[in-house]
Amino acid sequence: MSSKNMFRELDPLLHQQLRLSVVSLLMNVKEAEFTYIREKTGASAGNLSVQINKLMEAGYIHVQKTFRDNYPLTTCSISEKGRAAFEEYVKALQDYLKPQT
Amino acid sequence: MEKENQPMSGEQSLAIITAMIESTRKDLRDNGSWYLLWGWLVFIASCLHYILLKAGHTAPYIAWFLMPLGGVISIIKGRKEDKQQKVKTQVDQFMKHVLIAFLVSLFMVLGFMSKLGLSTYPMLMMVYGVWLYISGSMIGFRPLQTGGMINWALAILAFFASFEMQLLILAAAVLLGYIIPGYLLRSRYNKSTQNSTASFA
Repeated sequence: MSSKNMFRELDPLLHQQLRLSVVSLLMNVKEAEFTYIREKTGASAGNLSVQINKLMEAGYIHVQKTFRDNYPLTTCSISEKGRAAFEEYVKALQDYLKPQT
Repeated sequence: MEKENQPMSGEQSLAIITAMIESTRKDLRDNGSWYLLWGWLVFIASCLHYILLKAGHTAPYIAWFLMPLGGVISIIKGRKEDKQQKVKTQVDQFMKHVLIAFLVSLFMVLGFMSKLGLSTYPMLMMVYGVWLYISGSMIGFRPLQTGGMINWALAILAFFASFEMQLLILAAAVLLGYIIPGYLLRSRYNKSTQNSTASFA
């Protein structure tokens, strides 16, 4: 199998810079607020919202919308499906990065 | 740094994953404030109790009035931190349960003070040792783990000491288990904050 073919096996939903950043961040924590994710990724609020929605629709993350001191509060956490997908992505990445013999 | 929909190489993916893990890791570091707050309160109270006892005060135990004060400060501080906390980890969740176990044990020892008699302070240090050792292990900070072991050793010593000596042993236990590791933790936190600021400069 050529490295090109192996590359295609990487989950397309995770193989995008911002979505991968969000999932990598959430893998490391129990839950994170939207403002925290924005601060860490350096993304614009609009772009981040779009990517978070895509991850949520795929069932990779949970998004909880509540209020704190009368201000809307969005909190994200990784789902079991998202965790499994990320682990699979890392495995595929390791194979891809392994020196070809 | 806007993340565009552009093709990524495997190396770039790996760099993103590493950067995000490293970036959150820096934020999750404890600044040692809780260890310093309670360390100083117990240190002052035990030393004051000893001084009042030596001075022949009729109620030297009033030194422990600092504990309810610490409780009030903790509630205010805890609420404020809860509001400011933008990210929660599995370790936070686990630490919460360990803290509950620690507080239940602590209040049991304090509640049965009259039955425990001279064993109260050694038991207290034993419970401190459990908290310090577990919390130190969870955040990967060796001085706290060592502080826990020192508390166990001092608890054994205190079982054989007079009440007056126990007060001094307790002061030493919190100095070595809470205060010194607390300052070391603060120093590690400040260093990591400086490094993180420098990387964005």
